[in-house]
Amino acid sequence: MSALIIAGHEFQSRLFTGTGKYASAEAMVSSLVASQSELVTLSLRRMDLKHQTDNILKPLQQQGIKLLPNTSGARTAKEAVFAAELAREALETDWVKLEIHPDPRYLMPDGAETLFAAEALVKKGFVVMPYVHADPVLCKRLEEVGCPCVMPLGSPIGSNMGLASRPFLEMIIEQSRVPVIIDAGIGAPSDAALAMEIGADAVLVNTALAVAKNPAQMGEAFRWAVQAGRLAFESGLGEKRIQAKATSPLTEFLGGLA
Amino acid sequence: MNILLNDSVYEFNGNNLHDLLKQLKKDTTGIAIALDQQVVPKSLWRTTELNEQSQVCIFESIAGG
Repeated sequence: MSALIIAGHEFQSRLFTGTGKYASAEAMVSSLVASQSELVTLSLRRMDLKHQTDNILKPLQQQGIKLLPNTSGARTAKEAVFAAELAREALETDWVKLEIHPDPRYLMPDGAETLFAAEALVKKGFVVMPYVHADPVLCKRLEEVGCPCVMPLGSPIGSNMGLASRPFLEMIIEQSRVPVIIDAGIGAPSDAALAMEIGADAVLVNTALAVAKNPAQMGEAFRWAVQAGRLAFESGLGEKRIQAKATSPLTEFLGGLA
Repeated sequence: MNILLNDSVYEFNGNNLHDLLKQLKKDTTGIAIALDQQVVPKSLWRTTELNEQSQVCIFESIAGG
């Protein structure tokens, strides 16, 4: 399986993961280790001054996993730029998952604000990974302003509905000159495998791992699914057809025996 | 002096952002600070003085997707 390169950084694993919704830090670490993911997302929030929060950074850093802060909570480009600058200080990385979703019901990303923010952040030296709707035009625009990859959604965040946007994802994959990472809605290993089979460069999975009864085992399941899907894509899948095509020779060698 | 810390009035006995973090006794790993809506780099925490009107926001890294 070929390696994935984004902004000069080489990834052996094409499974990116989130850290949200896990029952405990231990469950999170065991799942991420089993998944062999090399890039994980984190969020920022105003510090809780009354309580000490569990530090999840240390175990992640001990595993050597690259951290990808997101701008979750931002509703405008201005807020997202501010969140990215905070994240750069907090986690000492120029990488940022740009997400702007003003609507809490469907968490649909705001394409216009995302494009404004992406352009501003690229100029400030950030490696911008934009989370967007599966919009082929917008993905092209984001590539043009300097995003080193695009992250279109399969279906709404946490919905487990898989690749509901498949036809548009296929257009994005066909047109894109930067890696395409399918993010959001991937609920089962089969969704991840399908994403890879249609030519996605990577997937980002969070909820499906975090809410599993056995997050570590699910991490392993996704690891194999992503590898299998990518290997199949690189190997070249056969074309679909309605009519049968024999896999054994249709000879008459049994003729006349009955 | 009283400063505004994460939108609440807070009695602060020190001079700069570094003193504030010491007073709060918080782990500083994975945190960022904004003073009057401007992000202050870690390298400037010791030299960034606070006054009565200062609005400080401290952010921390948490789990997220």
